[in-house]
Amino acid sequence: MSPADWQIMVTAGLVATACGLLGPFLVLRRVALLGDAVSHAVLPGIVATFLLFETRAPLPVIGGAAVFAVLCVLLIDALRSTGLVKADAAIGLVFPALFSLGVLGVHQWTANLHLDLDATIYGEIAFVPLDPWIVAGIELPRAAWTMLAVVALDLALVVALWKELKLTSFDPEFARSVLISPRVLSRLLLVAVAITAVTAFESVGAILVVTLLIVPAATARLLTDRLWLTVALAVAVGWVAAIGGYATAVRFDASIAGAMGVVAAVCFTLAFAGRSLVLARKRTLQSAS
Amino acid sequence: MDGLIELVPLPYTDAVVALGALVLGVVSGVLGTLAVLRERSLVGDALSHAALPGVCLAFLFTGAKDPAALLAGAACAGLVAAACMVGIERGGRIRADAAIGVVLSSAFSVGIVLLTAIQNRPDADQAGLDRYLFGQAAGLSADDVLVTGLIGLAGLTLVAVGFRALKTTLFDPAFAAAAGLRVRALELGMTALLVIAVLVGIRMVGAILMVAMLVAPGVAARQLADRLVTLLPLAGAIGAAVGVTGALLSSSAHVPTGPVIALVAFAVVAAALAFSPGRGVVWRAMRLTHDRRRALADGVLVDLETALHAGPPPTVAELRALTARPSRELRRGLRLLRGAGLVDRAGDRLLLTEAGAEAAGAQLARRDDWSLWLEHGARLELPDAREPDPRDLAGSIGADAVARLRALA
Repeated sequence: MSPADWQIMVTAGLVATACGLLGPFLVLRRVALLGDAVSHAVLPGIVATFLLFETRAPLPVIGGAAVFAVLCVLLIDALRSTGLVKADAAIGLVFPALFSLGVLGVHQWTANLHLDLDATIYGEIAFVPLDPWIVAGIELPRAAWTMLAVVALDLALVVALWKELKLTSFDPEFARSVLISPRVLSRLLLVAVAITAVTAFESVGAILVVTLLIVPAATARLLTDRLWLTVALAVAVGWVAAIGGYATAVRFDASIAGAMGVVAAVCFTLAFAGRSLVLARKRTLQSAS
Repeated sequence: MDGLIELVPLPYTDAVVALGALVLGVVSGVLGTLAVLRERSLVGDALSHAALPGVCLAFLFTGAKDPAALLAGAACAGLVAAACMVGIERGGRIRADAAIGVVLSSAFSVGIVLLTAIQNRPDADQAGLDRYLFGQAAGLSADDVLVTGLIGLAGLTLVAVGFRALKTTLFDPAFAAAAGLRVRALELGMTALLVIAVLVGIRMVGAILMVAMLVAPGVAARQLADRLVTLLPLAGAIGAAVGVTGALLSSSAHVPTGPVIALVAFAVVAAALAFSPGRGVVWRAMRLTHDRRRALADGVLVDLETALHAGPPPTVAELRALTARPSRELRRGLRLLRGAGLVDRAGDRLLLTEAGAEAAGAQLARRDDWSLWLEHGARLELPDAREPDPRDLAGSIGADAVARLRALA
């Protein structure tokens, strides 16, 4: 295995870790598709960055995208908290509108300029090793370093606010009565998701991030009732997808992000089939006795 | 068809686009509302992502970019995706949004893998296959509109015919199942209808903006209607209005149609959420302010009446000492009462006008009735068990019930 191989796997694994830490909470709060929403909603941020600073360098682009990602999640939260719109509808209202702004911006101002959107928002994981950074004598891809920082941030959030996140996910009314504000925690979580997603899009592409936020968390939900185990399993399934997906992609010369997504989907299918089998057996045993 | 298009007072291409947007608006408005009410608004998002593997497979089998074959591939993939979503939810544990997400991301990952597989083939005629997901309303032909219209008509007819069953399944699936309705078949049917609407819409406005077309009319209409039988036509009408407005705006400003339609849809929803009577955010805030003012004015009025009953007309400072209200609140209440002509001033002393005395008397009588209700209400036999409004007991339980209450005391 060449260094490029394991660099790609480590970067994908770090993305999987960040997503696995947050994904279970999104699934519990019925906003699993937030990652998908953010992936579309960042478009106007990227266009605006390009217009204002005429640059496609990663940092300004992440900054511009992050502004709109946070705007997107806060708008969704605000719509939801009016009590007039359910979470799923709020997501479906906000991200197409923001995406439309971006498309109009592209059409209006950047049509002649060279803004290749696929290359800007949708980073490509295969190119990750081409941009190495040496920090403290260790050489890792830039994407791996940034993801490492994001993982640290998410881990700090989840560990520090574990009890609060758990409580507000399962019983927001009780949380309010013991003076833990579900709204503040919901916003913190959403902003963390927005920042994680934007950073990861830039490194490995949008669809992989969307997949890793949902599929490992859903797989873990099938396997256990305990929240900490759900999070741990989600991270583990994410790593399986990262390593297995990369091996598959190399073997069949396929898209890396696509193959990782497919492996995650296979994990979900196996867990689903396994759970159904166990439940079916339990049922026959019960009816027999 | 062409005859119909010539009736529209617009250049030919604009007329086709506007008509297409109208048809799409009605269809997606009605079918999308069913999804919104079942908290599955983003089904359309997943279905449009699932079109990618379908399109790729169709291309792999036929080896050509034949539009009919690609559409058929997308339709099959959409149906499979819909069946997967229903299946995952049936397994328990995974709720609708996560099921939609799992299907969306899995299908799209498979699509990307297939896309790279196609690109690796030597006979690469595949350029632009992934562009299928981006709509081009400008390239719309009159035949497209006709086909859309026919498919949409079929879908709407199905909704109309199965209306009662749909309604029962939507709002009380358990009862629907107990009543012998095929709940799962109906759910699958509703999702299949949605597949058709999405496929039609992707070609016109693109995958992502199709989400807006499905969600926005339903949410806006929901703010204005409480009954499904008015909600669905209203959503269709809003969808049509949004579609046509967006199409006309975009053709006059020479910008892409899809985004303009999506932004118009968002604006309509925002307006409905803010101003819908009885529900809207602004409407509720205004009613809250009104209620607070009324409560304050009533309270101050009674305070003043009590003070006048006990002694000479008080000054503002004396009244404040009597009532222990914060001085700003008291002043605001007095201002409101003077504005309504209920309180007058003689020098720095406060007096009730004739109307004010009457209003204070009525208010006190209402308070007395309410204390009677709290004390003896339990013994009163009433046809329904609803909690009465403390500000208007007679209006809530009826004047003769109040008379009986007084007799009980």
